[in-house]
Amino acid sequence: MIKTAQDMKSYKKKIRQALGDSFLRSALDEFNTAYRKNRPSVYKDIDFNILRDAIAENKDSLIPFLEILFEEFKLNAQKAGAIVHRAKDARQANEIIARIAKENKVKKIIKSKSMTAEETFLNDYLEKQGFMVTETDLGEWIIQLKHEGPSHMVMPAIHLSRYQVGELFEKQTDSKVDSENIDKLVKVARHELRPRFLEADMGITGANFAIADSGTLGMVTNEGNMRLTTTLPRVHVALVGFDKLVSDLGSALNILKLLPRNATGQAITSYVTWIKGANQSLNNPSGKKEMHVVFLDNGRLSLSRDPVFYTSLRCIRCGACANVCPIYSKVGGHRYGHVYIGAIGLILTLFFHGKDNDRAIVRNCINCQACKEVCPVAIDLPHLIKKTYARVIKEEGKTPVKNFFLAKVMKNRKLFHFILKSAYLAQQPLSKGKPMIRHLPYFLEKDHGFRSLPAIAKTPLRDLWQTISPKLETPSLRIALFAGCAMDFIYPSHGKDLLKLLKKANIQVDFPLDQTCCGLPAMMAAEEKTAKAIAVQNIQAFEAEQYDYILTLCASCASHLTHNYEKIFMEAQEPGMDFKLFTDKIIDFSSFMDKVYKFSQTDQNINKKVTYHAPCHLCRGLHVTEEPRALIQKAGYIYTPSRDEDVCCGFGGSYSVDFPEISSEILKKKLDNIEASGADILVTDCPGCVMQLKGGLDKRQSPVKVLHLVELLAKKK
Amino acid sequence: MRPRDKTIFYREHRMEKNNLIQIMTEKAVAVGTIVHEISSVSNALQYAVDLNKEKHLKTMACPGLDSEDRDRLLDLCKSSGMDLLEEPLRNNASSLDTSLTWIDFGIADTGTLMLASDSEEIRIATMLAKIHIAMLPVSKIRLNTGSIEADLNDILKKDSASYTAFITGPSRTADIERVLAIGVHGPVELHLLLIKDMQP
Repeated sequence: MIKTAQDMKSYKKKIRQALGDSFLRSALDEFNTAYRKNRPSVYKDIDFNILRDAIAENKDSLIPFLEILFEEFKLNAQKAGAIVHRAKDARQANEIIARIAKENKVKKIIKSKSMTAEETFLNDYLEKQGFMVTETDLGEWIIQLKHEGPSHMVMPAIHLSRYQVGELFEKQTDSKVDSENIDKLVKVARHELRPRFLEADMGITGANFAIADSGTLGMVTNEGNMRLTTTLPRVHVALVGFDKLVSDLGSALNILKLLPRNATGQAITSYVTWIKGANQSLNNPSGKKEMHVVFLDNGRLSLSRDPVFYTSLRCIRCGACANVCPIYSKVGGHRYGHVYIGAIGLILTLFFHGKDNDRAIVRNCINCQACKEVCPVAIDLPHLIKKTYARVIKEEGKTPVKNFFLAKVMKNRKLFHFILKSAYLAQQPLSKGKPMIRHLPYFLEKDHGFRSLPAIAKTPLRDLWQTISPKLETPSLRIALFAGCAMDFIYPSHGKDLLKLLKKANIQVDFPLDQTCCGLPAMMAAEEKTAKAIAVQNIQAFEAEQYDYILTLCASCASHLTHNYEKIFMEAQEPGMDFKLFTDKIIDFSSFMDKVYKFSQTDQNINKKVTYHAPCHLCRGLHVTEEPRALIQKAGYIYTPSRDEDVCCGFGGSYSVDFPEISSEILKKKLDNIEASGADILVTDCPGCVMQLKGGLDKRQSPVKVLHLVELLAKKK
Repeated sequence: MRPRDKTIFYREHRMEKNNLIQIMTEKAVAVGTIVHEISSVSNALQYAVDLNKEKHLKTMACPGLDSEDRDRLLDLCKSSGMDLLEEPLRNNASSLDTSLTWIDFGIADTGTLMLASDSEEIRIATMLAKIHIAMLPVSKIRLNTGSIEADLNDILKKDSASYTAFITGPSRTADIERVLAIGVHGPVELHLLLIKDMQP
């Protein structure tokens, strides 16, 4: 039985347990790396982006018409002898299926894998009604024997080692099993399950497609158990979510091009089966199968009408959002979903299984955008997770303390900046005047001591500006600097380095003093009103029409100021706010130095190896990948790639404070890869990542030096 | 059409056909299918019996073969001491070793076999056997799923029930430690015999 943590305290306890599971940790870490490494070869023959957008568009065109598609499916399937039902919720679906079983005098039931049946907890219900239910998908059978829910949507037993599986099989078969040999374990399942197929009266399956214009079900599988489940018993029941309806075969075939590739890296699975109506069944006196299709609503139809969340119905259950998630790879599926696992699970849980089950898990997103990038139906998962969190807070009816604080302080720039400046004085006993805080007070050290923290600067960049700002007579360009909190209050020296560089190119830089935090921390806390108020303040502070560019050295700010500002104002649907003028002028440091500044190749070679960390919001948020690496080389350094350069560093702003135990584990893998590269210097172009990586390497007393790209470039020329 | 054009058309057609066989073979082999080009149905029957003999297997089934081919296979089985199982195969489900069936289309792009499996005999034969030997006339190879979409739709749009399978390689799983294992529930081996001299 699935027990998902319903409060942060018990959630943290489960997370700590998972982090201590050495098999889980190494298996999922390896999987995360292998999946991403294998991906380019999987997509070498087809264009992922084009197909993804086409499928998303097709799905969007169908979602408003699911009920019409259902009627069309029903009509066509009935012509071929199927009986089509509709269930408004999980309970009704289970009741319908139990009734079909009773009416057909069924005793033994076999099942092939169905996430929809997991959603309704069908097995539990049927077993309580006295039916004997056997899962036949290998992974599902394993977790059935272990009385657990799936920990991955495609590989339900990925959290278990061969030895754990062997133990379960020994108990089941009452004989010795060679756990070392996975082939032999698989043959145990073949041998044990074959008689169950032959004895069963009823087979239950899910489906990947319900094709309306012919009344056909499409099923995408590998093991062959689904084929046996739909062939040997005399009754077949398919439980299908309304979201699986597509208009025609062509739509299904398009999805079929992406689903196996994205899920398991296969061009197609071993079996794809198209079943229409009541087929031949020689153990039924009628000679025909008793065929039922049960369509499950369970909140889907109301989701289809939701202006924000309807896109979650595009999901084709490939599981890739878990495969690439740095958090999933640390904590595993049972801590990263309820029934549905991964990023989509954090969203769907609220709608299918209620706020109690989503309350804790929905907070566990670091917003690294890895899931969004691989989603085969272009669901903006990180954004929807925050939207889900906002809805959970709303349904709970009480504001979390953090949100109360964010709303109070961040909307008021002067108060916010006063607090930051006061922090300089407050930290003195810890920093002792040094730039790093290496030890925290005892009660914080245990969880948060995995990295040294940067000290708040004595004088923020905004207060230095009057004395250091350039006043050029005839500048070649006028740009405004969006400093972001980190550069302004922690790394004002990055601002000085920037000025050094820009002066040489005769570029005038202004610092509009009314600018404040970009608002991303508020958005991450689902504090939507505050995020919007801050956006308005910034847009008003900049008077963008005066400038050629608005430059920021923070990748997270850059991504938030463009994409999220657009979302904020588009969703608000308020005319009058000319945000485009502002967002269009935002540029990140690497793009600026490469495309506008045209940083040229130095003729001096510096005999130092430099590796790079790609900030999430730069490489995935803004799709800037080549520029920073090219700039490192142009500056005369030897660029030395490290493994998983584009994987999150574990910072995620306040994420690293809320989930320090996970943040530190993500950081650990990152630092191991960096040190293994043999580089002398690590460069990145986001002050948040600088903070995390510098803090981590400092704590390790590593000789690798961490620099923001601006520091590296300012050193030369 | 002028004779010259006809020649060109013929050449292109030939090239295309050879190319399709090549793609089909490569892709099918890549997913673990054992592929052979065979010159006639008789040779395919002989291949099946030889394979069974080599593997020390005892029984065969051949649903969907015409009676003439079935009789030839029966003779071959008898002379090799094997049983050609009677239908309904459901009654012999536990003792079925090897099945020999026709395939309706090959999908070259993914090395996939498309098989109309409305008949329960075909389904049982291709699901429960340890080895599935599939015969495909080379003229029935198509490039990709797009090129069989119309044919499949013709089947699905009929008002009658249907069960159509795409089969790509033997049964597989990676559910334990993501390690690939073959033959978890379905056939452990899939053999594809591309038959050259068949007319469409």
